[in-house]
Amino acid sequence: MNWPILAVELALAALALIVLALDLVWSREQQERLGAVTTVGLLLILALWWHQRGASGTGFYGLAVLDRFAWYMKGLILGASLLVVTMTREFLRRLPGPRGELYLLLVLAATGMSLLTATADLTLLFVSLELLTFSLYVMTAYVRTDARSIEAGLKYLILGAVASASVLYGIAMLYSQTGHTRYDELTLHLMTHPPTPAVLLGMLLILSGLGFKIAMVPFHLWVPDVYEGAPTPVAAFLAVGSKTAGFAALLRLLLTTLQPLHAQWTWVLAALSGATMLYGNLAALPQKNIKRLLGYSSIGHVGYLLMGLSSASVLGTAGVLFYLLAYLLMTGAAFLVVVAVSQRIGSDRIEDYAGLSQRSPFLAAAMFVALMSLAGVPPLAGFFGKFLLILSAVQGQLFWLAAIGAVNVVISLYYYLLVIKQIYLRPAREDTELTVGLPYRFVLYACLAGILGVGIFQRPFLALATTAIQSWF
Amino acid sequence: MNLVSWILGAPALGMTLLLFVPRTQEAWVRRIAVAATTVSLALALILVGSYDRAAGGYQFVTEIPWVPQVGIAFHVGADGISVAMLLLHALCAWTGVLISYSIKERVKEYYLFYLTLITGVFGVFASLDLFFFYLFYEMAVIPMYPLIGIWGSDASNAYSKEYATMKLTLYLTSGAVLALLGLLVLYGGSGISTFSLPALEHHLALHPLPPELQRWIFPFLLIGFGVIAPLWPFHSWSPIGHAAAPSAVSMLHAGVLMKLGSYAIIRIAISLLPEGAAAWLPLVATVCIMNIIYGGLVAMAQQDAKFIIGYSSSSHMGYVLLGLSTLNIIGLNGAVYLMVAHGWMTALAFALIGFIYDQAHTRMLPDWGGLAKQLPFIATAVSFMAMASAGVPGFGNFVAELLIFVGAWEKYRWQTVAAVFGVVITATYLLRFVRSGFFGETLSRWDELRDATTPFQRLPFVALIVALLILGCWPNGLLPIIDTGSRALLQRIGASTMLAGGVLP
Repeated sequence: MNWPILAVELALAALALIVLALDLVWSREQQERLGAVTTVGLLLILALWWHQRGASGTGFYGLAVLDRFAWYMKGLILGASLLVVTMTREFLRRLPGPRGELYLLLVLAATGMSLLTATADLTLLFVSLELLTFSLYVMTAYVRTDARSIEAGLKYLILGAVASASVLYGIAMLYSQTGHTRYDELTLHLMTHPPTPAVLLGMLLILSGLGFKIAMVPFHLWVPDVYEGAPTPVAAFLAVGSKTAGFAALLRLLLTTLQPLHAQWTWVLAALSGATMLYGNLAALPQKNIKRLLGYSSIGHVGYLLMGLSSASVLGTAGVLFYLLAYLLMTGAAFLVVVAVSQRIGSDRIEDYAGLSQRSPFLAAAMFVALMSLAGVPPLAGFFGKFLLILSAVQGQLFWLAAIGAVNVVISLYYYLLVIKQIYLRPAREDTELTVGLPYRFVLYACLAGILGVGIFQRPFLALATTAIQSWF
Repeated sequence: MNLVSWILGAPALGMTLLLFVPRTQEAWVRRIAVAATTVSLALALILVGSYDRAAGGYQFVTEIPWVPQVGIAFHVGADGISVAMLLLHALCAWTGVLISYSIKERVKEYYLFYLTLITGVFGVFASLDLFFFYLFYEMAVIPMYPLIGIWGSDASNAYSKEYATMKLTLYLTSGAVLALLGLLVLYGGSGISTFSLPALEHHLALHPLPPELQRWIFPFLLIGFGVIAPLWPFHSWSPIGHAAAPSAVSMLHAGVLMKLGSYAIIRIAISLLPEGAAAWLPLVATVCIMNIIYGGLVAMAQQDAKFIIGYSSSSHMGYVLLGLSTLNIIGLNGAVYLMVAHGWMTALAFALIGFIYDQAHTRMLPDWGGLAKQLPFIATAVSFMAMASAGVPGFGNFVAELLIFVGAWEKYRWQTVAAVFGVVITATYLLRFVRSGFFGETLSRWDELRDATTPFQRLPFVALIVALLILGCWPNGLLPIIDTGSRALLQRIGASTMLAGGVLP
């Protein structure tokens, strides 16, 4: 069986069971501590994850694999989960009612995400995808009293079900043509047999289903409404966790199993990358709600990530991994600020951020750094990520795509600066100070330090990203 | 660590220290900023003194491998041209910090952004690695947004400061990403996978890129960096940006930031793509006449003091562009010399206007009337500034403009004639500036204004005037250093164009 291959996932599942059990036996007051339990549990799993560095192997009859790539992506997912737990604890303070489910679902979703990075078989791909998605359906609709949350959950459910069906159909098509579901057997088959139309259709269907997960144009339609309606920590989890897991599955599938069909998918991805970048960033321009803005901008970032994938080179793929790390830190920081602000002023409208720099210099500075990093301003992490991805496009003879990427830097800078304008240039309408608790502050500091640290000392992180994917080339 | 890295390191260190000073300790915030820039200035002066003219080339080099996977190194050093630029910026930054004592609101944030800007600009002038060059360049642009947006004043009724600062940031960033695309294609084309400028210079001198590729990349760099230069017709961000910015920011903005553009064109575009330069620079020489004449004529029509100097800056930068288009030693030296002289002159101008505006709250010249009576010291300094700007002998600008005209005469005859005519335009609007603002009718409502009386207040103005006079009376101080840099550059590109099969006209 080779259990250690899935040690992180098994630990996550165990944590989920512990949270469930405690939720059942604890009284309402004691349940307040569930957040702390989840945090500690995740930290322990993080230690386990660190202990596994460099480990590799396959197990579970070839269903799952642990390699440096899976290890890297699991780290990002655990990091994202920790950030989201912090936000959830803050978020639940103002929300009456039971506590346990949200933590339980969060850990279950994290299990699904983590499993997705380790998947080496199409059936496990589907199962982990569903585990992740089902948890997120419920999380999205969690605030039962808020019509927007219910609406968001419903939208996500319907569109998500279509995407799942598409993945399942694609798997069936591949299986019917090749007789395999395991990645390594599929690769062998595809290398020796020219692709039939059904194989290509199957590939496209799986791509579309995963495209829904990562919010790639044209499968992005759910994003703005779901981000706006979902509880903010859940939106953050959709942005960083779900996206990272989706990319993990996509990268492994495309660069190992479907590598023989590489000529067929690169141009599709390149075209979709350009469209995704332009759509996400242009649609973000008129937004008045910070969550919608971050939703659209997250589509734009997916476009950048796809740019690295479509060049299908070591540099581009390492760039994707580096960018996912940067994206985790900067989007995490931005959402941390959004949760803190909306808990205190009760609004997500950008104009209500006016004068934030006077009401809370710390939150304002954090948002400034996070947004500037998202826009790709040096010396922050997002800058070097964008630099690598654009460089990989130029090296991959995709100059037009690199040019679209460069134009989008300017477009995105514009709408991020519109938020900065409210925060720094406009006077505050109220002058009550907004104070943030110490643990929350600490997590936010860690994100900011990460943004600066990864942005200035890029070398070890790029080396980590490169070793993660080197064996595929 | 050595001289050049410390010039860059001092403001970076100051910036880091500021993070840990409580916002209420304004005096300490100011002291740290002054100390950091004083160190930079002192080191820049030592650099000028200790740069080995006989040896030339890049000196005081620090190279630390940074991201070896893609050929990036933290690589700083200075050749003759960058020595001059570092000195220019060090003096502007230092006087700028002194002038900033008039900032009373949100002091800590102000100095944080201001020192980031200063560090970024030092970084650009010291970088010998294209990646860090770009990094510092963009790092210098972004702080302008809050600096102008928070502490600035509306450029005019039509252009609010929010509009001005957004336009400036987006224009400059657009230019930057355009240049980045060019740099990345250059990086790919060179085939040696390094961003190191000396390595690329060396490699491309022996193995030049194919001329078609050079001609294709060159406009990306030319327009990308030209936006900040500001090359007509991409200049429209500049006058309103100058007008909206607080005085210390206008000083750096017009004094130094604009020079980043022309510096980058010399350092990267011309130096690495000589064939592209030979093909495109004649066009630049023609377009920059639009800068000179059009900018000058628009400046003539202004009433707002900052707009006059703003348009005059884009007019003067036209001379710099003309000088570098000549691709000969006299013209290139003149261009670099003018970058220094014009930088200090403009810094002086914005500092003076800011001094008056802070008290009078108007920049309209007719409203000032005859300030010479009320503000004798400031009026004297303004006269010096006007003389320097108009190219009166004795000031650095005269030397530089003369060199540019001599250099350009051979190759761009009618452009030179037009440019010389531009000097007349400059003299006209500057004389009007002095007459209607300072020697008109004395208005009693300005009797309350206080002149710069204490030595501390006068220090930045005096320093800039003295520097301009030294440039003008003793060109043999700085010019030979610049000469080592531009001579080496021209020799290298001369050799490489012959290799590429082209002939430098």
